[in-house]
Amino acid sequence: MMNLEMAKKLLQTGIKKAKEMGRSCSIAIVDDNGWLVALHRMDGTPIPTAEIARDKAWTAAVFQMPSSEVSCFGDPKMPGSGFNLQNWNDRLTTIPGGLPIRDSDQLIGAIGCCGGTPEEDVLLCRKVLEEIRLREETF
Amino acid sequence: MEELTLELALKMLEAAERWAKDIAVFSCSIAVVDKAGAVIAVHRMDGAAMATTDIAIEKAWTAVAFKMPTLMGSRWLDPRNMGKLIGDHAMGMIGRGKGRLCFIPGGIPITNEENEVIGAIGCSGVPSGVGDISDTSVSQAGVTALYE
Repeated sequence: MMNLEMAKKLLQTGIKKAKEMGRSCSIAIVDDNGWLVALHRMDGTPIPTAEIARDKAWTAAVFQMPSSEVSCFGDPKMPGSGFNLQNWNDRLTTIPGGLPIRDSDQLIGAIGCCGGTPEEDVLLCRKVLEEIRLREETF
Repeated sequence: MEELTLELALKMLEAAERWAKDIAVFSCSIAVVDKAGAVIAVHRMDGAAMATTDIAIEKAWTAVAFKMPTLMGSRWLDPRNMGKLIGDHAMGMIGRGKGRLCFIPGGIPITNEENEVIGAIGCSGVPSGVGDISDTSVSQAGVTALYE
């Protein structure tokens, strides 16, 4: 289960890694139902990144897949298209940078990063999960 | 201090969490915002209700936007004070600020030496009215930690 202690550990690691990459970013940790547990915005990071990081984490948690993969539902060539990605709700996003956190096959929460390019955000999430040694499965 | 940094925000959160855990014995959410009302850090303690994070952020936002503790604003919106305060009532305040305005006690602004607001802390999840234990006292523990 996601708790505040683990969320703090993830955030500390994330901020350390972001500083190593020379980036400032916002990081959000949500629990298995998508509810916010902890959120940090580094000094000097643009204001909206905090909310975007939370959106990414929410999307990753409720779909149980990386936020970038959610866009497959909007692809007309894929089975299951017709899902209205744009106006579903004000949280859903398909921007890369949100990854689900799994502990021995069970979803315990998700992490969302925002502040760099999409590639950098995903890389940062992966680095954090690698460091914490929680398995992250790609869809 | 001139500006609230993440480091200072975490120091406040840690102190407030310790107070909530050891003295109030209640799980709650605590948020710190900067002088723009933008979130710096939010923590939801284990067992606190899920919606409390948003309420804590909104209390802190309101404390910055009105440059006063939300406890003071809540007096204007208390129906028991109708007609007792100087001037008119402020019921039209409900729902303002694009719905973000939250005059529930628990948000406290943080000021610098020149008395300018540089941020705020907000807490939600502690039932109020039992002795000294309330959202405001948890926030106050966070503010006090800044001056230690």
